[in-house]
Amino acid sequence: MQVTLIDLATSSVAAALAAETPAAAASGTPGAGARLMLIVPVLTLLGTVLCGLCAALRVKSKLPAWTTVALLAGSFAAVAATFSRGEGVLSPVIAHGFEWISIAWGGWGSGGLGHGITANFSFYVDSLTLLWMLFVTGLATLIALYASEYMSHDAGTGYCRFFAGFNLFVFSMSCLVMADNLVLLYLGWEGVGLCSYLLIGYFYKKPSAVAAAKKAFIVNRIGDLGLALGIFLIYVQFGSVEYATVFEAARPYIDSFRSGDFAAIPAAVQLIPILLMVGAFGKSAQLPLYVWLPDAMEGPTPVSALIHAATMVTAGVYLIARTYPLFLCSEHALPVVAWVGTLTALLAATIGMAQFDIKRIMAYSTVSQLGYMFAGLGALTSVGAAFHVLTHAFFKALLFLCCGAVMHGFAGQLDLRRLSGLIRVPGWKVVGVGMLIGCANLAGFPFTAGFFSKDMILAEAFVTPGMAPIGWLLLLTAGLTAYYTFRVFFRVFVGPVSFEPGDEVHSHAHDEAHTHGHSSDHANTHDQAPAHASTAHGHFHPHAPGWAINTVLVILSGLSIAAAGLYFMGPHGGWVASMIHHSSADLPAAIGEHPSHGSFLGMDPHKVMYYVSAVVGFAGIAAAFILHYAGRTSAATSRRADTLSDRLGVIARAARAKWYVDEVYDYLIRTPLWVLSHVFHLVDKLIVDGLVDLFGWLPRAFGRSIRPSQSGVLHGYAVGMAGGLAVILLIVLLVAW
Amino acid sequence: MAESILILLILLPLAFAAFTSWMPRRHAPTVALLGTSIALVLGVYAAFIFDWNITGRYQFENTVEWLPALGISLKVGVDGVSMLLLLLTLLLGPVCVLASLTAITDRVRTYYAWLLVLQAAMTGVFVARDLILFYTCFEFTLIPMYILISLFGSTNRRKAAIKFFLYTFTGSIIALAGLVYVAWHASEHAVSGGWTFDLDRLMIAAADLPPSAQGWVLAALLLGFAVKVPLFPLHTWLPLAHTEAPTAGSVILAGVLLKLGTYGIYRLAIPFVPAAFAEFAPYLAALSIVGIVYGGLICWVQTDIKKLVAYSSVAHLGFCVLGMTAGNEIGLSGSVLYMINHGLSTGALFLLIGMVYERYHTRDMGQLGGLAAKMPVWSTFMVFFVMSSVGLPGLNGFISEFMCLLGAFQSADGWGMGLWGSAAPEGVFLPGSTPGLLGPWYAALAGVGMIVAAIYLLQLTGKVVWGPLVEPAGHGDGAHHGHQHTAHEAGHDAPGAHNTLHPASPSPAGNQQRHSNLPADLNAREIGILVPLAALCLFLGVYPKPSLVAISGSVKQTAAIMREAGVFSKRPATLPPAEQPTPVEATPSAPREAQSGAQAAAKPSEAPPGAVTLSGHGGMSR
Amino acid sequence: MTSAWLMMTSSALLAQTGAPAAMAGPTLAHYLFVSAAMFALGLIGFLTRRNLIIMFLSTELMFQAAGIALIAFSRFHLNHTGETFVIFVLTIAAAEAAMALALVVLLFRRRESLDAQQWDEMSG
Repeated sequence: MQVTLIDLATSSVAAALAAETPAAAASGTPGAGARLMLIVPVLTLLGTVLCGLCAALRVKSKLPAWTTVALLAGSFAAVAATFSRGEGVLSPVIAHGFEWISIAWGGWGSGGLGHGITANFSFYVDSLTLLWMLFVTGLATLIALYASEYMSHDAGTGYCRFFAGFNLFVFSMSCLVMADNLVLLYLGWEGVGLCSYLLIGYFYKKPSAVAAAKKAFIVNRIGDLGLALGIFLIYVQFGSVEYATVFEAARPYIDSFRSGDFAAIPAAVQLIPILLMVGAFGKSAQLPLYVWLPDAMEGPTPVSALIHAATMVTAGVYLIARTYPLFLCSEHALPVVAWVGTLTALLAATIGMAQFDIKRIMAYSTVSQLGYMFAGLGALTSVGAAFHVLTHAFFKALLFLCCGAVMHGFAGQLDLRRLSGLIRVPGWKVVGVGMLIGCANLAGFPFTAGFFSKDMILAEAFVTPGMAPIGWLLLLTAGLTAYYTFRVFFRVFVGPVSFEPGDEVHSHAHDEAHTHGHSSDHANTHDQAPAHASTAHGHFHPHAPGWAINTVLVILSGLSIAAAGLYFMGPHGGWVASMIHHSSADLPAAIGEHPSHGSFLGMDPHKVMYYVSAVVGFAGIAAAFILHYAGRTSAATSRRADTLSDRLGVIARAARAKWYVDEVYDYLIRTPLWVLSHVFHLVDKLIVDGLVDLFGWLPRAFGRSIRPSQSGVLHGYAVGMAGGLAVILLIVLLVAW
Repeated sequence: MAESILILLILLPLAFAAFTSWMPRRHAPTVALLGTSIALVLGVYAAFIFDWNITGRYQFENTVEWLPALGISLKVGVDGVSMLLLLLTLLLGPVCVLASLTAITDRVRTYYAWLLVLQAAMTGVFVARDLILFYTCFEFTLIPMYILISLFGSTNRRKAAIKFFLYTFTGSIIALAGLVYVAWHASEHAVSGGWTFDLDRLMIAAADLPPSAQGWVLAALLLGFAVKVPLFPLHTWLPLAHTEAPTAGSVILAGVLLKLGTYGIYRLAIPFVPAAFAEFAPYLAALSIVGIVYGGLICWVQTDIKKLVAYSSVAHLGFCVLGMTAGNEIGLSGSVLYMINHGLSTGALFLLIGMVYERYHTRDMGQLGGLAAKMPVWSTFMVFFVMSSVGLPGLNGFISEFMCLLGAFQSADGWGMGLWGSAAPEGVFLPGSTPGLLGPWYAALAGVGMIVAAIYLLQLTGKVVWGPLVEPAGHGDGAHHGHQHTAHEAGHDAPGAHNTLHPASPSPAGNQQRHSNLPADLNAREIGILVPLAALCLFLGVYPKPSLVAISGSVKQTAAIMREAGVFSKRPATLPPAEQPTPVEATPSAPREAQSGAQAAAKPSEAPPGAVTLSGHGGMSR
Repeated sequence: MTSAWLMMTSSALLAQTGAPAAMAGPTLAHYLFVSAAMFALGLIGFLTRRNLIIMFLSTELMFQAAGIALIAFSRFHLNHTGETFVIFVLTIAAAEAAMALALVVLLFRRRESLDAQQWDEMSG
C-alpha cells in the first residue's frame, strides 16, 4: 500500500491548485485533494455554528434548513470533485489537518518504544473513503432538503436544533470515515453517537424518546468500549494507531493467514478484530447489541432515514472494511462476523414480519440488511458488503422518507392496520411509487439494485468454504424480507382506500403529542377501528407532501434504480468492486481466489444465484400478496393473515413482542445492575461510611462514659483533690520507707 | 517581577482578603472580584513569560528565608504541570466570586475573605518547592473550606464541615508523619548535615531510603493524599461535603481541592518512594477501578443532583489515579490532564446545579425535570458539560480518559501478564508496551466505567434536562418565587444580615424578592461564567497538543523516575540498559519513523513481526 | 477521717526529724506541725462546709499554712527564696480575696444563697 503524503513544498500540482485560494496556500494545507476533503468538516461545523446562532437569534424562518442544504451540497461537491480528480482513488492520500493528540517524549532504552502517540486530525483518502463520503454527503444533502419541509411545523428553536444536530452528524461521520487513524475514527464514532442521542431525543418532552435516546447511547457505549480496547491493543501491538503504519505492520500476519499458518499469528493480534467487531456490532445494531435501533425510531423520520438507516449504522461495516487487513490476521474473526450477521438478519426479519408500525418494520429491516452486510464481510466479499451498503443507503433512505411522508401527512399515523390504498389518495402518487421502488429493492426484485448487491453476498456465502449454512439462512431471510416488505406495501399503499389520522391531528406542535400507535394494545382494540376510522375520516384531510419532499423522493427513486447500473460499470463486480480493490478493504489476491469453488446444489453459485434469489423473492412477495392483498376488505382486517397469526398463536405473539429480547435484557442486565447499585449505595452508607463514623464515635463514646465523674459540684472536686493529695502522700511515704 | 510573581500570587489574595473584611459590606464582592481577577491576569502574564520549551524545569524559582535554622524556606517554583494547575486555580477564582453574587447574601465579607484565603492556600500548594510550605498550604486549605461549608452550606452543613475537616485532617497528619520521616532521613544522611525541607534535595536524599521504609512512607503519604483524592474506601466525606457546600465551595472542592491529593501523589509520593509506588501500583489501580465502577453505580441511584455529581468525582478521580499507577508517559499525561479537565467540567457542572438551585431551591431530581423547555440555554450548557464529563471525543474529558486507559493497558512488560502469553515471549517487547504491573485487564475493567458514566450522566440529563417539564410546587409559570424555601433560607444564623445586596429594600418582603433579578433562564452573568469554561473544554479537546507539550517535560521525568526504580517487573532483564546497544537503535524524533525503523530492524531477527527483540539484561534493577 | 490521717502523718514527721527534747527554741518540726495542722483544718473546713464564704476562708487558711511551711523552710535552710515567695503569695492572696469575695457576692445575688451545692453548671 503506497501512501502518498502530498507536501505543498514538493508537489507542483498542489502548488498550482493552492494558487486558486491564497488562504490555503498561506496556511500550508498540503495537497489539492487533501484540501478539498478538509472542507467537508469545516463546512459542516460551520453549519452547526450557524444553526446554533440561528437558535440564539431566534430565527423563525427556514434559514437554517437552507444553510444546511447549501453547505452539505458544498461538501458533496468537494467530495465529488476530489473523486473526479482521482485524488486518492488509486492509492491513499493523507490530507493533514492539524496535530491533535500528537506527542513524543523521546526514547528510553531502545528508542521510540511506546514513547509517543500520533493521532492527528488528518484524513486518509482512498477509494473506500470516497465511496462512503459520496453517499454520506449526497444523501445528507437530499435528506436535509426533505427535512426542510418535514420539520417545518417546528420552525424556530427546534428547527435550528434539528439542523445543528444534522450538521454535527455529518461532521462526525466525515471524521469517522475519513480519519487517518483509529483515534480520530473513535472521535467520529462517538460523535455520531452523540448526534444520534440528540436527534433521537429531539422530541424531548416525550419520555419514550428520551428513553430511546439514552438506550441508544448506552448500548453504543458498550460497543465503543470494545472498539477502544481494540485500539489500545493495536497501539500496543503495532506501536501506532495510524492506518498506514498498522496495515504495513500487519502485512506479515496476512501472509501467515494466506498460508494457513495461524500458529504464527500471536493471540493478541488475533484478538484485535474480535474487539473491533464489538464496536462494529454496537454501532451497526447487530446481535447482541441491536436493541437500540428499533427504539431509535422515536426520532424525526429524516433522522431515521439518514442516521439510522443509510449512514451511521453502516459505520460498523465501514470499520471492518477499513481494518480488513486486521480481520485477515485472525482465524476466527471473519467467521464470527459472518455468523453474527446472519443470525441478526434472520432474527430481525422474523421480528419485522410481526410488527404493525411501518417505521419499526423498516427499522428491523435495517437491522436485518446490516446483518447481510456483515455476513458479506465475513464471507470474504467486502465488495458485496460495500455494494449492499450503497444500494441499501439509497433504497432504505427512500423507504424511510416515504414512511415519513405518510407520518407527516396522516398526523403521525404509522399503524399499517389503519392505513390502506394510499396510492389512490390524491397527491400521494409519488410517495406510493417511491415506496414500490424501495420495496422492490429491499425485497430483491430482479434487476433492482438490491437484487444485485444481495446476490453478490448470497453467492459468495456459498462459494466461501464452510459458509454454506450461512448462505442457506440468508436465502431464507431473503424470502422473509420480501414478505414483510411487501406486506407493508400491499396493506398501506394498495387495496381499499381507508385511513385514519394519528394522534397528532389536533396538535400542530409536533413535540407536544407525538405518540403514535404501535404498541401491542392496539391489537386488542382494532375491531372497533373501522367505526372509529369512518368518523375520523369525515373531517380529516391528509395533507399531501409538498415539492421538497416529492423532489427528494423522485431523486432517491431514481438513484435506487440507477444504483443497479453500477453493477455493470467496469470489470467483474462493477464500479464498487473497482473502488474496493484500491482500498484497504481489498482482499489480497491469494485469499480472494478460492482454490475450490463452493457450489450451490452442484451448480456455480455466481450464476445460479440470480435465479434462486429471484424465485425466493417472488415467493415472499406472493405470500404477502395472498395474505395481505387478496381478499382484504378494510385497512384493519385481512382475514387470511389474521387466521394465520391466530394459528401460530404463541409464536406470533412472541415475534410481535420482539422475542422478548428487551425484557430479557432488562431482567438479566439492567435489573441486577440496578439492584447492585442500590446495594452499593447501602454499603457505602452503612459500611464504608459507617466505619468512618465509628472512628468518630469511639472517642466520643469514651468521653461520654467518663462524663458522670464531672458532677459540677464544688465539693466533689474538692474531695477528689484531697483524695488525690492523700494518695500522692501515701506513695511518697511508702517510697521513703 | 518574574522571580517574585509566584510569591505575589500567594500574597495578593491574602491582601485582598484583608481588604474585603474591612470594606463596607456592599463592596465585598467587588473587591473579591478585583483580587481574583488581578491574580488571574498575573497568572496569565506568568504563563506568557513561562518558557514552555523547558517545561520539565522549575521556573520563577525564588527562595525567601523563613526559618534557616530548621532548613525551612519559602521556596517557590513552577514547572509545566504546576503551571497548568495554577492557571486552573486562578481561573476558578473569579468564576467562584461571580457565581456567588446572588447566592450569598449573609456574612458577605466573611465569605469572600475566606474565599480569597482559600485561593491563596491553593496557589501555595501548587507553587511550593519546600515541603513545609507545601504542607502548610495543603493543610491551610481546610480552614477556609471548613468555614465556607459550615457557615454558608445547606441544612446539614455543620456535620459535613466537621466530617470534611476531621477526615482529611486525620489523613494529612499521617501524611505529615511520612513526610517528616523523609526529611529526617535526609537530615541524617545529608552531606552538609542539618535539616532541609527543600523538595529538590529531599528527592535526592529519598533515593536511598531503605526498601522497608519506602513501603511505610508510601502508606503514610497515600493515607493523606488518598483521602483528599478521594480513593475508594476513603471517599465518604466527599458526597456529604459537596452536597452541603455552597456552589462556589463545591466548584473549588471539585475543581482544585481534590487535585491536591493527586498532585501530592504526583509531586511527592512518586518521586520520594518510586520503587514502593511501582510495587504497589496494582493494588492502587485495583482500588481506583473499584472506585470507578462502584462510584459510578452509586451515582446511578442518586436522587440528589449534587450528590450524583459528587459521586461521579469519585469515579473520575479513579481514572486519574489509574493513569498515575500506569507509570508510563501516556498514563501520567492522561492523569495530569485529567486533573485539569475534571476541574473544568465538574466545576462547571456544579455551577450549573447551583444556578438551578438558586431558582428552584431544590436539588431533588424527582422535583426537577424537562428543564430544556424552560431553560434552553442552561440545558445546552448542561448537555455540553455532561458530554465533556462522559468523555466524548472532541471535548476535554476524552483525551485524558483515553490516555489513562491506554497507559494502564500498555503498562505491562512480558505483555499481558501471561494472559496472552503468546503476545510477547520472554525478552520481547511489543512496540507499544511499557514496563509495568498493570495490563489489559485493568484497562478493560476501568473501561466499564465509561459505560457506567454514560448510564448515570444520561440518567441525570434524561431526568433533569429532557422529559416533561417538572418544577417544584410554587415554581410554576407566573408564581416564580416559591414560599416554602424562604422559611428555610431565613433560618440562617444572622437574621439581620439579609438583603445585603439590596440595601434599597430592607423590608422583610425583600427577602422573598431576593431572587427576582434572576430570569427563568440564565442571565448574562451566568452565561459569562460558563462560556470560558466551555471554550476551554472545547479547546483542550480539539487541540490538546499545547497542554500535552506543557506537561511533557515533567511527565517524562516522573516516568523515568518510576522506570528506574525498577521493581515494575518481577522478572529481571526486560529492559536493556541505555548504554547497551540493542538490535534496535532507532532514535529519530518522530515516533512513526521510529516505529517503522523498529520494525525494519526487527525483520532480520527471528522475532515475530511487529515486535521488537530486546536482548538487554539487568537493566531494571538498581 | 482525713484529718486523723494527717495528724498521724504529722506526728510521724516529727518523730523522724527528732523531737525537740532539750532544745529551748522551736525546731523546724514544730513549725511544720503547726502548718500541717492549719492545712488540715482548712481542708476539713473546705470539705465539710457549704457556705461559700466559709469555704473561702478555709482556702485562705490552707494558703497561710503553706506560707508558714515555706517561711519555716526558708528560716531553717538560711535561704530567702521561701520568704520572697510568701510575700508574693500574700500579695496575690490579697488580690484574690478581693476577686473571690466579689464573685461570691455576685453569685449570692443570682441565687440569694451562699450554698455551694447550688452551683453545678460545670456538670458534664
